[in-house]
Amino acid sequence: MVQTHDILLTLSGVGKSFGGTVALTDIDLTVETGKVHAFVGENGAGKSTLGKLIVGVHSLSEGRMEVDGTEVSFTSPAQALDHGLAGISQELSLMPQRTVLDNIALGREVMRGPFINARATRRGVEAVMERYAMHVDPDARVGDLPIVEQQKVEILRALSRDARLIVFDEPTARLPSDQVAPLLALVRSLADAGKAVIYVSHFLEEILEATDTVTILRNGRHIRTGPTANETHDSLVEGVTGSVLGEQYPEVAAPDRAAPPVISVTGLSRPGVFENVSFDIHPGEIVGLAGLVGSGRSEIARAILGADPSRGKITFNGREISGSIAARLAGGMAMIPENRREQGLMMGRPIVENVTLPHLSRFSGALGLDRRRERAAADAHCAATEMKYASLNDHADALSGGNQQKILFARTTLGDPALLIADEPTRGVDVGAKRSIYDLIAGLAKQGKAILLISSEIEEILGLSHRVLVVSRGRIAGELEGAALTETALMTAAFSGT
Amino acid sequence: MQKTILFARNYGILVVTVLLLVLLTVTTEGFLTERNLRNILDQQSGVLIAASFMTMAIITGNFDISVGAVYVTAPLVALFVENATGNIPLAVLAGLAAGVAMGVINGLAVTKLKVHSFIATLSTSFMFFGVGYLVSDRAVMRPITEGWRALARTRIFELTSATWIAIGVTIVAAILLTRTRFGRNVYASGANREAARLAGVNVDRVQMITFVLLASAAALAGVLGASRAISAQPSDDFSFIFAVLTAVIVGGTSIAGGSGAIWRTVTAVFFLAFLTNGFNLHQIDPIWQRLIQGFVILVAVSIDAWSQRRGG
Repeated sequence: MVQTHDILLTLSGVGKSFGGTVALTDIDLTVETGKVHAFVGENGAGKSTLGKLIVGVHSLSEGRMEVDGTEVSFTSPAQALDHGLAGISQELSLMPQRTVLDNIALGREVMRGPFINARATRRGVEAVMERYAMHVDPDARVGDLPIVEQQKVEILRALSRDARLIVFDEPTARLPSDQVAPLLALVRSLADAGKAVIYVSHFLEEILEATDTVTILRNGRHIRTGPTANETHDSLVEGVTGSVLGEQYPEVAAPDRAAPPVISVTGLSRPGVFENVSFDIHPGEIVGLAGLVGSGRSEIARAILGADPSRGKITFNGREISGSIAARLAGGMAMIPENRREQGLMMGRPIVENVTLPHLSRFSGALGLDRRRERAAADAHCAATEMKYASLNDHADALSGGNQQKILFARTTLGDPALLIADEPTRGVDVGAKRSIYDLIAGLAKQGKAILLISSEIEEILGLSHRVLVVSRGRIAGELEGAALTETALMTAAFSGT
Repeated sequence: MQKTILFARNYGILVVTVLLLVLLTVTTEGFLTERNLRNILDQQSGVLIAASFMTMAIITGNFDISVGAVYVTAPLVALFVENATGNIPLAVLAGLAAGVAMGVINGLAVTKLKVHSFIATLSTSFMFFGVGYLVSDRAVMRPITEGWRALARTRIFELTSATWIAIGVTIVAAILLTRTRFGRNVYASGANREAARLAGVNVDRVQMITFVLLASAAALAGVLGASRAISAQPSDDFSFIFAVLTAVIVGGTSIAGGSGAIWRTVTAVFFLAFLTNGFNLHQIDPIWQRLIQGFVILVAVSIDAWSQRRGG
């Protein structure tokens, strides 16, 4: 099939400010049909905002936007959709309680008088699935589907409304690593079907692999746009951060294996989830816990913290533990949970409260909380993580992903724990912030903390861990160390039980 | 603009209350008199006591409808004991204990049975109303001691004892919420229950305590009300809970949990009280009072919703 590339969308001099904050300024670019066009930048660079301007979530503060050469201005996503511009956002906007069919057909049901013609509606939806060879069980409840299928439903919803341009906003941020390739294939198939695709992401590998054109944004400014083929990983990093990248991972000192382990897990089991998990972590040691999503990695971590019930023996600091989460935290454990929005932070509360929440007892006296001392401690620990914030009273949701994650690190260091369980510590965090989180982890290890690092990013596990445990189907399928610690060995073990 | 919105969100209720105060002072003769203001304080004491702790319960993300039933039934229990023993302190303690017991039942229904708090406390409301009918034998109860009426009506420095108790309870609630670890755990439980749990907060215990405190406060309000009225009668009257909920919500406490403040609830109590008082001073037909009051509440709540949306 011969692809023609027509200019669908033209932005000239586009800018956007929120209140007094300028998010984007003076953006000129064109988007063509049949191509995947990446917007790349750090968090806060304005790439998501630009995507949202295009699909009508935000309206322009200045400049003009043209679709097919005609000027448009949107005040709602519905208006953008009328022009064929649709967005697939980070937080999917589906109705989890309803079926796939209901979700796709919403607002586009075929009517017979005042009633919905169910059969014709279903036929319409199935026809769209057929045309784009994208099949999802129409009767499945959306909430029961894995995220990648949910994304498909959202894409199908856009396609059934004759979308010509689809903006993907960080579509892989919430995906397990083995689901990324199918999604990228899906994105490519949309471009091959003649759609214009905008792919907003900070995952450089994905951009290099799956896009045709790339636009680099930094601090709300357009740095450059060009064919992806002309870019390399390093050139993108340089464009995104404005500086040449040094080593990606910090040096981690060898742990003290002679010292008694900080934590010893023996025969830990939770029926149907994981079984007979045993390992030790020594002071200063970073142990990676790798495996596919759903293998039981995070569940093991939760069981160690006492968040889920389990059987087996956990010896921590030489003592067997079995108490509540609070008791384990007080005993010197800390966890950075898998999903900071849902499990880690109070998004609508001030930074200071988020930092001190598990440690309030140390600021409490007969007269209640000593808020001055609390603030001083929070301030010191936030500063140590190099978090960027205007005031400790700012709500957590005012910060970028990387800085939100640093709130959790500040919380951790304030507790001065013996063991840190870090579950996906760099998820949804941009390139620059990633390195500083790695530095934080390495720094904690250097202070003699034991660290259990869970990550879907294999490179991250390889780059930081002294030793890696690979979980497959709830069992430890392999322990890799030194020269044996390679990506191939890791993936082989991860897939061994499946 | 952003600053204005932030200010409106935080202090909007205070601004409109002050405006109303000025308006009524200018337009009526009787409003800004010591006597009138003293009366307002005394009349609002029950709502203030319950609304402070209702704010706390709503911040944890829970509703408590049964406050109305506790308000009706606890004084019946207290008068039952008073009638039997003639001992007022014992009677008050019995009324408060009834409140504690009812709070525990609510807490268990929400934390152990995992029923949504709205449904759970709606159900327990009927149980508690039923207890009221049982205890009183379906009749109006009156105290046998002369001292009973003194509970709420003793004058100390020109203000009634009910007023002083309300001031004390409100201050205690505000301190508890803003200056203690427990208060932080209340916000955390409502702001993000799972995150709070993983941070070591015993979320069930926090919810249980808020239910018990709230029911005890409602029982105290009920006993003071029965002292002022020198009687108590069983009923299925939900009006008290609506007065309390209205104040909390007009005060801008988020029904989603995680945010709110007692000073805002207190301000809203006075806003609503001034409104009613102003209507009466202007001799506005009670039917129109209802219509206007409903409209004003809707406006207050929509301003809040608007500022949350814009600021968020």
